[in-house]
Amino acid sequence: MSFVDWFRKRLGGAGNGGSPSGDDGDSHGCESIPCMDALSKVHEYLDGELEGVSQEEVRRHFEICKKCYPHLKLEERFREVMLRVGAEEKAPDHLRLQVLELLAAESEKGG
Amino acid sequence: MDAVFRFALRLSGSKDLAEDLVQETFLRAYRSWDQYVPGTRCKSWLFTICRNVFLRQVERGKRHDEIVAENVEQGSAPFDVVNPVWVASVDVDPEGDFFGSIVDEEVLRRVRELPEEYRTAVVLSDLEGFSYQEIAEMTDVPVGTVKSRLFRGRRILQKALYEYALTMGYISPSGGGT
Repeated sequence: MSFVDWFRKRLGGAGNGGSPSGDDGDSHGCESIPCMDALSKVHEYLDGELEGVSQEEVRRHFEICKKCYPHLKLEERFREVMLRVGAEEKAPDHLRLQVLELLAAESEKGG
Repeated sequence: MDAVFRFALRLSGSKDLAEDLVQETFLRAYRSWDQYVPGTRCKSWLFTICRNVFLRQVERGKRHDEIVAENVEQGSAPFDVVNPVWVASVDVDPEGDFFGSIVDEEVLRRVRELPEEYRTAVVLSDLEGFSYQEIAEMTDVPVGTVKSRLFRGRRILQKALYEYALTMGYISPSGGGT
């Protein structure tokens, strides 16, 4: 990163009205981390696995940045569906019996 | 056993194969019980065995060149920070409500179609709630690789679900294109 890029980042993109799909480092004038930083960390944020930036900083960006907020919602909707399909599904009863029999036979073999 | 069965089902995509995987998993767990470290999550240990059994079965059924081709295909094409699905649907459904319209079976079908590395990472994280560190240990890769697999797997899955939603008319094309 050049000094100019670094400086622009420090300014938080103030004075330019780019979009999340456009200017790197833009935070749309929001007093928070730049959009690209927030967007690039959206998975870690939702997974609770952020490093180098706090949950609060990223949460605040999505809360106040109207352009980035829908990105977060889209990822959240996706997670909701994944949780739904991952919900309870039981192993069939005959499988439990088979496993128990298998382990009993193995135990006998082992003496 | 339910969790191991679910995991085996997501990995293999078939109830019959999943049942075989579960039996083999518990048999191996029984035989190597002395290797289980008390205090660690038994579920992680069983999932690790289950995946190893699955991978051995897959590799036995494949020629070496097929495995190599698959790995190359999964390579490291760059992904945009901005989600292409959002770009494509921004005008008609910017918050991704269409995901909620897709029935479970279709979602699971798309999960099964993911390449194995991505499928395992997505299932362990999004369906089973394991941490990056736990997934890294279970799949024997660095945490950075787990993050990358999750990122790519989720993007592929989201794109597939978006295209399905378009086909089914749950969402209208916005002209954004992916």
